[in-house]
Amino acid sequence: MTGEKENPTVATVQTVHETELVKSAQNGDRSAFGELVREHAQGVLNVVHRMCGDAQLAEDAAQETFIRAWQNLSSYRPQTSLRNWLYRIAVNAATDMLRKEKRILPDDIDDLHLPDGRPGVESLVSQQERITIVQKAILALPEASRAVLVLREYEGFSYQEISSTLDVPVGTVMSRLNYARKLLKEKLQPQLSLLEAEHV
Amino acid sequence: MSDHVTEWLNAYLDGELSGRRLHQVEEHLAECETCQSELESLQGLSALLQEVPAAESISPERFAAQVNLRLPHRPVKRTRNRIIEVGWWMVPVGLLAVWIFISTAILVSDMVSAANNIGLLDNGTALLISGTAENAGWTAALGQFGILQGNSLHWAEFTESFSRNVLPQFAWQVSIALLYLAWIAIWWARRTRQGHGQLLEG
Repeated sequence: MTGEKENPTVATVQTVHETELVKSAQNGDRSAFGELVREHAQGVLNVVHRMCGDAQLAEDAAQETFIRAWQNLSSYRPQTSLRNWLYRIAVNAATDMLRKEKRILPDDIDDLHLPDGRPGVESLVSQQERITIVQKAILALPEASRAVLVLREYEGFSYQEISSTLDVPVGTVMSRLNYARKLLKEKLQPQLSLLEAEHV
Repeated sequence: MSDHVTEWLNAYLDGELSGRRLHQVEEHLAECETCQSELESLQGLSALLQEVPAAESISPERFAAQVNLRLPHRPVKRTRNRIIEVGWWMVPVGLLAVWIFISTAILVSDMVSAANNIGLLDNGTALLISGTAENAGWTAALGQFGILQGNSLHWAEFTESFSRNVLPQFAWQVSIALLYLAWIAIWWARRTRQGHGQLLEG
């Protein structure tokens, strides 16, 4: 069994302290909300950064996430995970931000022009370039599949957590994840070959 | 060689399989090179994705201060949502209360009628529950005018009695049951929108 990836940012247990902060914030306490922002800022930023692929855009999207959270805090149910609720808003904020900014993203993953993966040629490609290529490939994924991939690969969410975060059935999570990985495997085949060669 | 388990390899890689499905995939992988290769390919992809670094660390204080500056001063609408939520859960409670009330009323009514029929009630009490449908009904009028006689009159009286006493009770119970079932259906639909993990257990 391969097992799940461990991720220190995964904290599904809602503390009593956090519940109290949420209650205070729901009653209009801005300092309590500020504490929640400090607690979840990095996690939210990580998610939107993976979704946007741009540091400045990600920070704007992260701020937008918390503003939307403040405006809709009354609809949050304390018995659910605050982190998951925030991540859902974050995914939507990142998507909206990308559309608003009209960033030129590849409409289709096939539009990417990636380097040839043959040994020799690939050896010229630095790791940084490879990272850029992978980021572009992720950005070229359909939004719904990208969100599932980000939550699974980078946040270490279980399928059930992704399901409740994005409000889609587990079956849909599976199909979106399968689709995202299939597309990425096809497009990143040269980089996969190189990575494999490096580890042999 | 059994059918390939390609469609389950992602879930297997993510540690999401359990029970019979997990056993099936593990057994298949032990003997299928094609699926082993596919799994290695997925593991390689996952490793490649992990090369992409996370967002740079930010100062939580600075970030929170920036967010605070942009927070609108809006009234908190918590009370309204709370009322809606409480109202939603009060629906089945209310239906149950109505059902208990109606059932109790019917039971008491039947008991009083039965007590009256066997002469357990005094004249004053009996007077209070007199004047029932049989006396004031349309069949009695038709019988007096001679329009209905014999068996026809008997069946008309029975039908009228049934429609006045049993049908309303039945309609009440069915209405409450339907409302309750509708509430359960809505609750279930909302709940299952979240999906469930049984799919992965095979």
